[in-house]
Amino acid sequence: MENLKEDLKKQIIEQLNLEDITPADIADDALLFDDGGLGLDSIDALELIVLLEKFHGIQVVNPEEGKVAFRSVDTMADYILKRKS
Amino acid sequence: MSFITTYCHISADQCSVNGKAVSARDRAASESWFKQIYKEQELVYPKFYKMDSLSQAGFLASELIKRENKGLTGRYKDDEIAMLFANQSSSADTDLRFINSYEHNGAPSPSLFVYTLPNIVLGEIAIVNKWYGENMFAVLPKFAPGFFADYGQILLSTGAKAVLCGWLGVLGDNIEVFVWLVESETNGSLNFNQENVLKLSGFNPA
Repeated sequence: MENLKEDLKKQIIEQLNLEDITPADIADDALLFDDGGLGLDSIDALELIVLLEKFHGIQVVNPEEGKVAFRSVDTMADYILKRKS
Repeated sequence: MSFITTYCHISADQCSVNGKAVSARDRAASESWFKQIYKEQELVYPKFYKMDSLSQAGFLASELIKRENKGLTGRYKDDEIAMLFANQSSSADTDLRFINSYEHNGAPSPSLFVYTLPNIVLGEIAIVNKWYGENMFAVLPKFAPGFFADYGQILLSTGAKAVLCGWLGVLGDNIEVFVWLVESETNGSLNFNQENVLKLSGFNPA
């Protein structure tokens, strides 16, 4: 689980071109779309969907699932494990 | 009367403001040339990293012009600065990257897709500065100083008091960027006309 979260942080940084940020800067529970967190926008949300498909082979087809899954690195990791189980 | 008050050039190897070099490219560096300028000039705008090359070029030139032309943003209302940009290759640089993203990387990149129009750079500059003046991006067969002089004068006679003009030639490593500010309520020594635009550009008139 911890490895998955670390990988996710690296993948988010790479996919979203967050060049000033390191994995250590992203707390597991930081809100990705909140200005107090990473401050991502709607285009970034689409990139996260691409990320899940590209790196984890998971297609997000239900927007409601995405809302919950993309809340934080914690929720993304939970979502990936749930979809793969 | 209107005057060219500040200008910026970015070529493949050098960046200058008002003719004075401010950054030189390190070809051995791993970072892109535009990122080198961004860091060397100590600009702070994290969204820069998400922009495509065309928008990065416009952003850098406009920021360096603002830095040189102190008080620029305070002199005008938010709808009094117009923008008039053009180039020859439209957004081809990003279009090609976008094609590559879905042909070779498995999935089309949404963040690349949003930059597959050349006028997005105008939106980026407008967002940074909260400039709501008129703007347009033309795709022309070649650099046309007469186009900028004529259209710029129209903008200045219909409400704008300043016009940020720019030729953003960005296609791979072919970089020919020339951005200049025209102001109508400031005294200057360089009249805004076709001859001076061509002369300052340094481009071959042929």
